Amino acid sequence: MNDMRIHGTHHLAALGVVVALTAGLAVAGTAQTVSGQAFSTYVNTSVASSIQSPLVVLPAVSGTDGAEADAEGAGVTVANTLSSDFLNSITSGELDTSAAGAQSTASAADINVLNGLITADEVIANATSSRTGSGAVSNADGSTFQNLVVAGVALTTGDGPVAPNTTIALSGVGYVVLNEQTLSGDGVTTSGITVNMIHVYLQSALGGPTGEIIVGSATTSVGS
Amino acid sequence: MSNRRHLSVLASAVAGALALVACSDQTNVTTVPKRPSFWGGVTECVTGKWTGGGRMDPPNPDVPDGATGTSTMQGKVTFGFNVFLGTDPVSGQCIVTKGEIQVNHHPSHTSWHVSIHNGVDDFNETVFAEIISPDASGRGVCLVVGETPITARVDGQKGTDQVQMELCDNDPDAPQNSRTDAMRWITAGHGDTDLTYLTGGNIVDHGA
Repeated sequence: MNDMRIHGTHHLAALGVVVALTAGLAVAGTAQTVSGQAFSTYVNTSVASSIQSPLVVLPAVSGTDGAEADAEGAGVTVANTLSSDFLNSITSGELDTSAAGAQSTASAADINVLNGLITADEVIANATSSRTGSGAVSNADGSTFQNLVVAGVALTTGDGPVAPNTTIALSGVGYVVLNEQTLSGDGVTTSGITVNMIHVYLQSALGGPTGEIIVGSATTSVGS
Repeated sequence: MSNRRHLSVLASAVAGALALVACSDQTNVTTVPKRPSFWGGVTECVTGKWTGGGRMDPPNPDVPDGATGTSTMQGKVTFGFNVFLGTDPVSGQCIVTKGEIQVNHHPSHTSWHVSIHNGVDDFNETVFAEIISPDASGRGVCLVVGETPITARVDGQKGTDQVQMELCDNDPDAPQNSRTDAMRWITAGHGDTDLTYLTGGNIVDHGA
């Protein structure tokens, strides 16, 4: 990685510290938290690694307030494992007297995973969580793949979605989950979502986990 | 500077009309918006906070392009922002007192960033803002940041551009609806997204 820049309304975000944003919310009558984070790439294998990058974490703010953090990276190259460029991560969140919300976006372009096993012109992960007096909801609207090819099979032509949690076996490697969505919360006072656009699970010949690769990850949550 | 004049004229001429369209129910957007007699942007404000982020795909994929009808910047755009509003002690006008704005245009691999502290941006420019409330439908509020165009850093430290941003919160205090809120990003160097409903994310006017 080179030429990475991080901005934020709070410098703590640049250090990747603290996630929660807490304040009173009239609709709940209890303290609320809003959290978010995003990163473009992550590699953790037995032979290579690359930290979550560029990582942004929603800064901590008190009261009826808001915050934003963003970061960009020119590119990442992990030999024989992952290459990508135009890396961007953004997270923002807010609280007021009647609502709370968080939004996170992560993107990566010109993606090449495991020497061409998975390629895409671009992925965008987009996560949104919000809470009002009507309840708490999360979604991954706006999360898409551009010209995604997995093991020689084109899954999207142009820019388009793939069904959540689409799992494809990768012979001799493990498997990949596309548009991996993990939801949390009760939908009433709490809600959260993590969306990983490309999540490769590396496995040994016996099926045991040996590592993982993630491209495009966005997380948001609201809760009490 | 000619670009600045052009953007200033553009913003003043179209921002109000665009905000009117964006803050209306998206199913009722018309291609030739008319400014109602009660319309008027508020150039004075005491305080205010706006936060949001997400994605849009100009031209608007869901409805006819109801703003100017010309998106000279098209394709995937992601963004995030957090701005605090206040009053300029000199002019009495509404300004952004602090904030961060990040916008990425994916097809061209271009990124813009604006940082505002103590009422001025990194180039010591006052960031004038305008609130448009209520809109024609009475359910939305819009904010123009950079009523007079401001300077953004492009691709980190590689250059600068003159920019303006328009934001519309069309679902205040209602369940989040990604495709209701709208945004417009105008640049001197890379074109104009036109006002576009979000594909994902949220824009929130969260008050004083």
